[in-house]
Amino acid sequence: MLDTIFFYVFALLTIGGAIATITRRSAMHSALSLIVSLLGVAGLYLLQKAEFLFAVQIVLYIGGIMVLFLFVIMLVNLDQAAKERQFNRQWLLGLVASVLVGAQMVWMLNSAGVLSLPAAVPAPAATGPGNIEALADLLFREYLLPFEVASLLLLVAIVGSVMMAKKTS
Amino acid sequence: MNQFYTPTDHFSLLPALLLALFGCAILMLDFFVLPHPRQKRWLIFFALLGEFFAGLALYRQYRFLEDQSIPALRAFSDGLIIDGFSIFFNAIFVAAAVLVAIISYRYLEVEGEHHGEFYGLILLAQCGMYFLASGTELVTIFIGIELMAVTFYILVGFLRSDRRSNEAAMKYLLLGAFSSGFLAYGFSLLYAITGSTRLPKIAAELAQRPATDPLLLLAIVTTLVGLLFKVGAAPFHMWAPDAYEGAPTPVTAYLSVASKAASVAVLVRLFLGTLAPHRINWEPMLAVAVVLSLTIGNFSALSQTNLKRLLAFSSISHAGYILLGLIAGNRTGLTGICIYLFVYTFMNTGAFLVLISLRQKGMTGDDIDDLNGLIHRSPGHALLMALFLLSLGGIPPTAGFIAKYYIFLSLVETGHYALAITAALFVAVSIYYYFRIVRAMFLNEAGQLLPALPGWGARVGFAVTALATLAIGLYPEPIIRFAGTSLLR
Amino acid sequence: MNFLDLIWLIPLFPLAGAATMLLIGRKLDPQGHSDVALAPALAAEHGGDHGGGHAHAHGEHHHPATRRLIAFISPGAILLSLLFSLGAVAQLASLAKKSHEVILYTWITGLPFHTATGALSTFTADWGFLLDPLSSVMILVVTFVGFLIHVYATGYMAHDGGYYRFFGYLNLFVFFMLTLVLANNYALLFAGWEGVGLCSYLLIGFYFHKKSAGDAGNKAFIVNRIGDAGFLLGMFLLLSLTGSIQFTRVNEVLNSGVFHAETAGFGILSLTALFLFIGATGKSAQVPLYVWLPDAMEGPTPVSALIHAATMVTAGVYMVARSNALYSLTPETSAIVMGVGAFTAILSASIALVQNDIKRVLAYSTVSQLGYMFMAAGAGAYWVAVFHLYTHAFFKALLFLGSGSVIHAMSGEQDMRHMGALKDKIPTTFKTMFVGSVAIAGIPGLAGFFSKDEILWQVFSAPGGSKAVYIVGLITAAMTAFYMWRLMFMTFYGEPRMDEATAKHIHESPASMTVPLTILAAGSILAGWIGVPKLWSFLPESFRTFEHWLEPVFMRHAAEAAHGAHDAGHGDAALEWGLMGLSVAIAIGAILFARSLYGKAWKVDPIEALTGPMHKTLLNKWYVDEIYNYLFVDGLVKGGGTLLGRFDRRVVDGGVNGAGWLTRFTSTLSMWWDRWIIDGAVRLAALLAQIFSFPVRLIQTGQVQAYALVFLLGVGLFLGWRWMA
Repeated sequence: MLDTIFFYVFALLTIGGAIATITRRSAMHSALSLIVSLLGVAGLYLLQKAEFLFAVQIVLYIGGIMVLFLFVIMLVNLDQAAKERQFNRQWLLGLVASVLVGAQMVWMLNSAGVLSLPAAVPAPAATGPGNIEALADLLFREYLLPFEVASLLLLVAIVGSVMMAKKTS
Repeated sequence: MNQFYTPTDHFSLLPALLLALFGCAILMLDFFVLPHPRQKRWLIFFALLGEFFAGLALYRQYRFLEDQSIPALRAFSDGLIIDGFSIFFNAIFVAAAVLVAIISYRYLEVEGEHHGEFYGLILLAQCGMYFLASGTELVTIFIGIELMAVTFYILVGFLRSDRRSNEAAMKYLLLGAFSSGFLAYGFSLLYAITGSTRLPKIAAELAQRPATDPLLLLAIVTTLVGLLFKVGAAPFHMWAPDAYEGAPTPVTAYLSVASKAASVAVLVRLFLGTLAPHRINWEPMLAVAVVLSLTIGNFSALSQTNLKRLLAFSSISHAGYILLGLIAGNRTGLTGICIYLFVYTFMNTGAFLVLISLRQKGMTGDDIDDLNGLIHRSPGHALLMALFLLSLGGIPPTAGFIAKYYIFLSLVETGHYALAITAALFVAVSIYYYFRIVRAMFLNEAGQLLPALPGWGARVGFAVTALATLAIGLYPEPIIRFAGTSLLR
Repeated sequence: MNFLDLIWLIPLFPLAGAATMLLIGRKLDPQGHSDVALAPALAAEHGGDHGGGHAHAHGEHHHPATRRLIAFISPGAILLSLLFSLGAVAQLASLAKKSHEVILYTWITGLPFHTATGALSTFTADWGFLLDPLSSVMILVVTFVGFLIHVYATGYMAHDGGYYRFFGYLNLFVFFMLTLVLANNYALLFAGWEGVGLCSYLLIGFYFHKKSAGDAGNKAFIVNRIGDAGFLLGMFLLLSLTGSIQFTRVNEVLNSGVFHAETAGFGILSLTALFLFIGATGKSAQVPLYVWLPDAMEGPTPVSALIHAATMVTAGVYMVARSNALYSLTPETSAIVMGVGAFTAILSASIALVQNDIKRVLAYSTVSQLGYMFMAAGAGAYWVAVFHLYTHAFFKALLFLGSGSVIHAMSGEQDMRHMGALKDKIPTTFKTMFVGSVAIAGIPGLAGFFSKDEILWQVFSAPGGSKAVYIVGLITAAMTAFYMWRLMFMTFYGEPRMDEATAKHIHESPASMTVPLTILAAGSILAGWIGVPKLWSFLPESFRTFEHWLEPVFMRHAAEAAHGAHDAGHGDAALEWGLMGLSVAIAIGAILFARSLYGKAWKVDPIEALTGPMHKTLLNKWYVDEIYNYLFVDGLVKGGGTLLGRFDRRVVDGGVNGAGWLTRFTSTLSMWWDRWIIDGAVRLAALLAQIFSFPVRLIQTGQVQAYALVFLLGVGLFLGWRWMA
């Protein structure tokens, strides 16, 4: 019961934060909303008894990356960008389409019986100190290949962002 | 627990490993060793060397399968597979990457954007494609797609001083992220349904699910949508014209050829392999996508004046033809897809190569009018372009005809007459706009432009693409046999 | 030498010639460099077809030796093909089974699949050549006429820029044409089919500086695309039905009795045949796709002679004859073929009546004669269709080349109103064209008579024929004789109507042009004597070689036709003689009619001949005269009883003029149809494309949000698809 309540609270935080992130004009507000959203996700991880992921989420994303974001936003003057209109007039159309597609998806999930599934499937009791070991096992054995390729992906992303940022010669 | 990184794993990963190695090496050489702009030109040789070694590793894989006469080699506990199919597609990627590297050389010179990163990124994108052709595990495939896509976002926006290039990259990035969301959702649903991310396991689980399962249907739809976006099929094609037009022309060629082929490889592996029992669910959707692609691609191309945009729309229609082979789904259809993509690599790159080689300082060469009277200015270019366009239009005896013929043949074989007729009618439409270009080249009066002087890269590129386009059209047997080995079953 | 196994070389010689021309021709033809710079200026001076500006260049026939090399290589390649063809056909004649296939290699292969009838079949298409009586006729026509036209072109194009390019395209055309007729399957035939279309396109637009030339090329191309779609669909349907696209195999399956003749209704076989016929109407310029051919006359005259009269446009007839097994199973489609042929024949003949451009008359005439061929094919008399194809190649090539010689003499003038009295100035041209005109008019003894008369007889008597179509054919024959002799009278007789500068310049063409004309004239006289009517039983069977030669190809139908002819025939020898006499009488009557109108009137009215610019007004007056006469005749008919006594010369004249008005009216009507309906359809297609692409362009705004929206709608569509189902 309590789990369910917490689930909805965290889910609301996640979705609400995400919506606020994209609708706020001010970059600062957007970043803060994103932190809320990420917090919600962290909470969901915790509910799933994934304590390690919860910790990583808090420490890395919120503690590290987002704080860096905030620094950048404060250092760089983004007022100019903030004043520009970020949205065109199609938002209503977009909203209708999104709701429509979302409704279809929900309807399908519902008819699959997923939505009415009791949330009371107890997560397996954690063995040992959290589930770091299991996670490591998965990451470095079963999913070794994607794990390594992901590093390549990050490298490319860094190269790309550096390239984009570099002033034209 | 299975053994950690076995020799088999290594053998099956080797081409990708080499590509990543050379790709990173080029990035580092560019930064540390060859700081002088003039020296950076030599990086292309490293790229070609990397391709050579990757090709060699692929050939060794091919020999291995032949010698052992086994259909496939599985590695990374069903995470990777080496079979004829993956080798065939990787060969296409190698061919495309080599051609693109060669033709980029001059282009980057003209644009004054000669940077080593370019070649490095080409190799890294190909590394991502490797996992699309060989991956049999959802996470690997997804990361492969993202690696390829992120690289292309950068490549599309490579001309930093060109506003169109930046805009194209931004649009591609935003929409690409959007589609990746769908794909990730689809993959996660597949995992949720089957409890595994490995395709053989998923296939075994799914075979027992009823076709009416809405959850599975949702998974199929979202997966299909995500992949159709990458293929550039309608109605998820909207990014293509803008991205093609704005991107540097060699990247456009790479994007339209290799990226499309890689995504088709995943589509084929997923839908003809894993999801084959649920054909009833995805065939109508695919048919809708095909008809929309043919209609939108062909009709929109009719009114284009920018050549790159025209070729973008034509590539949408080509995506439609390729997907027809998926709908037929028999061995001929699969052969057709393989041949089509192989042939498309050469003819489409060839067409873009002509555009690049006509590019001069102060003139883009992207407009149909820029080709006016080309036969008088540089007859060689005009004849080559005509050859490539004839092939794109599917006129015999060029390679494009063979490709289309196999697709049609597979449709006739499987009794999809309505689709065959629709597609045949659209062939007639497509010839119309290809011949607008031919007309400009042969029948319009020459403009004031200078004759084009192809560099060594362009010459090699022309030789390879034209030879392939003609030779496959006249004598397709070897490539058909080669494509035959690529069959999944 | 075993020519039979070397038939694959026949198309290769012209290909080698084309490769030489296109790859190194520029170096052989130093003048070729200047053609870009020169051409527009020259075009401004000379509006006509022959825009190369030889008006200046005359007298100086000195060309660099390298140019003579082009004039040697290009026809030489065709000559080689001709010799090899002759050898191969001679050897074929000595075989017991008159069919020889040479398969170079397997081109496309498929996997076993079930055809629509349930039989298991494996698809293959070879790069293979089939020499049988039908293809042997075709290759001989193509190489023989092609060679003569190449020789002719060396003289005709001597002063034009881009000499090497012209011969390169021309050789390439012959290569594709020979591939088309020698192919042993539909796919390879399609390769040739598209190839000849491409070359035709390039050659129509050869005078690229003329906008009309480029437009004409485009029109030809677009119209042919519609035909091609039909061909492709027909080919795939045939594949799905018979499991093969190889001619021998398809015919085998169709003749094996698995399929029954669709006499009861319009079935899948009929549909297949119809699709193939749509392909044929595109290439062979039949209603409704004939419109491109008259415009194609914008190309140089040798091109018109070779491609748009003798060879390429007959490809559709060839294809239908090749698919005879299919058409003989589909009486309904055959009836359509015959009907379309007849309609085309009379429609275009009526248009030809009033044209003033010498090449346009011949162009409409070609369309009309092709209509005859389809009439014959539709009636089931395939060998007669091929026979007419063969005789037509001689006299129509002759007439086109002759008209080219006239145009050459007239410094590029094509309007017959500005010609006249050329008889003595260009005697060889006149004599040869005279022969051609007599031949096409159907005067006994010349080639056109035998084939046309046989068509009319077959349409009249064959089981698939029809009396109504016969009458249409007869009227067309009358029109044919009339417009050809109108052309002859306007061009060669009467008073000269050209300006002085042109008149001074009139000269007979060089030997390179007149010798081919003479040979073709000889052919137009003699070619028909291998297909004389059965009725002429006083002649030995060797005079009917043509039919017997083709019998193996049309075995089944020859038997049927013979049967039909037997039923209607022997008893009615008198009828056949009568019909023959009727058509000859009609032809002679039409010639005399043309003479009475054009020969006489133009002599009587010398002012018309002298005042060139006034001619249009005169023409209009004449038109008003027609209406007047019409009213007079109309009044005559109304009050016929009272005016019966005044049935004098005036009334007869009025009747004659009234008939003229009627034909003029119908041709105006068909021109109107041509302009608004057919051109309109082409424009409509373009407009539709524009309209259709509009919503696409509306969404393709460049706004990424709009793109995402479309994406989302696509997802919604996919999700909703199953939801609705």
